[in-house]
Amino acid sequence: MRAWWSGTRLVWERGLVENVRSKTFKIVMVLLLLASAAAVILPQLLAGGVTTYTLATVGRAPASLVAALDAAQVKGDFTVEYLARGGVEEVRAAVQAGDATVGLADEILYVAAGDAGTFPVVVAQAVVRLEVADRLTRAGLTPRQVADLQSVQPPKQVTVAPVADEKRAAVGFAVGISLYMALLFGGSAIATAVAQEKASRISEVLLVVLRPSQILAGTVLAVGTVTLAEILVLATPVLVAIGVRDDLGLPAVAAGDIALGLAWFVIGFGLYAFLYAACGALVNKVTEVSSAVMPIVMIMLAAYMVSITVTTHDPTSPWSLVIAVFPLTSPIGMPFLWASGEASPLLLLFSMMLAILSAAGVISLASTVYRRGLLITGRRVGVREVIARHRD
Amino acid sequence: MLDVSHAFGDRVALDHVSFGVVPGVMTGLLGPNGAGKTTLIRILLGVLQPQQGAVQLRAMPVTDAARRTWGYMPQERGLYPAMKVGEQTVFFARLHGLSRRVAEQKSRQLLDELDLADRWDDRTDKLSGGLQQRLQLATSLVHDPEVIVLDEPFAGLDPVAVADLSESLRQRTAAGSTVLFSSHQLDLVQDLCEDIAMIEHGRLVLLGKVSTLRASSGRRQLRLHLDRPDRAWLQAFPEVHVVSDQADELRLGIAPGTDPLDVLDAARAASRVTDFGLDLPTLSQLFLDAAHARPDRELVS
Ligand SMILES: Nc1ncnc2c1ncn2[C@@H]1O[C@H](COP(=O)(O)OP(=O)(O)OP(=O)(O)O)[C@@H](O)[C@H]1O
Ligand SMILES: [Mg+2]
Repeated sequence: MRAWWSGTRLVWERGLVENVRSKTFKIVMVLLLLASAAAVILPQLLAGGVTTYTLATVGRAPASLVAALDAAQVKGDFTVEYLARGGVEEVRAAVQAGDATVGLADEILYVAAGDAGTFPVVVAQAVVRLEVADRLTRAGLTPRQVADLQSVQPPKQVTVAPVADEKRAAVGFAVGISLYMALLFGGSAIATAVAQEKASRISEVLLVVLRPSQILAGTVLAVGTVTLAEILVLATPVLVAIGVRDDLGLPAVAAGDIALGLAWFVIGFGLYAFLYAACGALVNKVTEVSSAVMPIVMIMLAAYMVSITVTTHDPTSPWSLVIAVFPLTSPIGMPFLWASGEASPLLLLFSMMLAILSAAGVISLASTVYRRGLLITGRRVGVREVIARHRD
Repeated sequence: MLDVSHAFGDRVALDHVSFGVVPGVMTGLLGPNGAGKTTLIRILLGVLQPQQGAVQLRAMPVTDAARRTWGYMPQERGLYPAMKVGEQTVFFARLHGLSRRVAEQKSRQLLDELDLADRWDDRTDKLSGGLQQRLQLATSLVHDPEVIVLDEPFAGLDPVAVADLSESLRQRTAAGSTVLFSSHQLDLVQDLCEDIAMIEHGRLVLLGKVSTLRASSGRRQLRLHLDRPDRAWLQAFPEVHVVSDQADELRLGIAPGTDPLDVLDAARAASRVTDFGLDLPTLSQLFLDAAHARPDRELVS
């Protein structure tokens, strides 16, 4: 076991160094950083831009109204401009022409058709407030009492999803989506690395010194590490941003759930990664890799589609159960079912065991395919061919 | 190697081949294109599983663990193109279990021997074909293996490199390593190897010491320069045939089993011998004979 590991580690280190040195890695990292930063900054630029509303009145707007609106614009993300008009008709015309968002004349609020946002409500509230304050003062209340009464606010609104366990849901979705992304990034990189070793004929030398499982595991670890780094680069700015402005209200997640999520990620990545590696050993030219990995991509895509179309809406459907347990789709299907709150811990463990067993099977299958496939060059090798030769 | 057979589909690549390689003796594996040399070597190294037969080391089936200590250079070369020259040899040395420090030291030493020391920091794919070939050799020898198997190590090397490699292999053999290599360059094999094995169409057609094979071959020729044209004394040797008889030079083909010295004695009795010589066939001639003739079982010792 120690000898197995030391050889595997050397392959891992070598692959990692080569990956990190490559131009592709640097370019991808820069692009990911930019994309990640953009994901954080752009929405703020777009949504955080200050909106300007215009209020038209007959003559200058009363000072008390201006003061009330000033107070409101500090809380909301908008500024108010004022437009003085000669009479009621002119105010109405200004709103109609789009010069003003809202017009106030003769106790009537003219509102522009289209996107006036919350501004009419704000103006209406301000008018009502002023009127109420006026009457309260006349009824004999002190200014302090009036201010106190007016500080009453409606309760804050929070939207809740119909999910049994919100914390689990967050971990489940995160694992499902990042696994899918990691495999999208990493899977074909693994297949390409194996195909390149085959094409450069280095594999024949390696096969004499190492077991196929060592070569495969080392390659998968190297690409896996790089992929993890890429995901972290992509996710960190987003996570930091979420942490800084906690108005997004991310639920506090239990350490146990995170551990389960990580374990599941590793198992799922391993299972698919070795399948990708086996496909890489079958091709003749590196350019054939993308067509060779097609079957795996299709399975993953199917699992993902069923997860987001069926599981998220109807987690009790038999389809949801099937893709969450069947070993080739469970790494993607299970996290979504888990997120829906419909997976019992027992089902999760069962599915996990099944996935581990099939990962072990896939490693031995991939090793055989690797050993046999590498010596057959000049054409695409069929899976049946290498496995049949294994039997005799 | 015991009674090994292997076929790819209906094409028989090896047909009941058995032979041994002796430590401290350099052995050459010869044969025309497609004879099955590479297949044999791959089976030896365990890259291919033979359909029949087994490979043994000191009368025991050879284990994968033992094979991992061997030095192997495949015919189809393989190096990591993006890796630096020095890193490449260090990587292979460490794969064979050397510590990083020893691996580095051995790599520098070997690359120095192979005239690659100044290319230590170059990317492998920036090297010329011949230099890559030397690097390939370095990766298979860097851990001082006890068993060295090289498939066509001389193909593509310039004469200086051929001489260097020959010398290096000679030293390793003298130090007790077991060396087997395949080659087409027969004059080289003749100079370098003590033992040869020749296969043709997957069968072993020639096996043994180079000197014995050459001496016992039907191709030996006795060259005589005689004073007198009298050839009557030849009647006493029915198995000796005249190859050429021009002016004063007589060339005689000596069959195996006839002592050329007896022929020389008879010639001296009949005439004054001014010059003589025994020409052994070159390996090329043996190779051509073996390659053209159907497998001649008598030659297999
Ligand atoms: N992977 C393979 N699949 C099918 N046939 C093969 C394979 N490898 C070798 N052969 C066949 O086996 C026979 C022996 O091939 P091998 O490569 O061992 O010859 P060789 O003696 O090394 O030839 P060369 O001198 O050209 O290197 C050939 O007829 C070849 O076509
Ligand atoms: Mg060959």
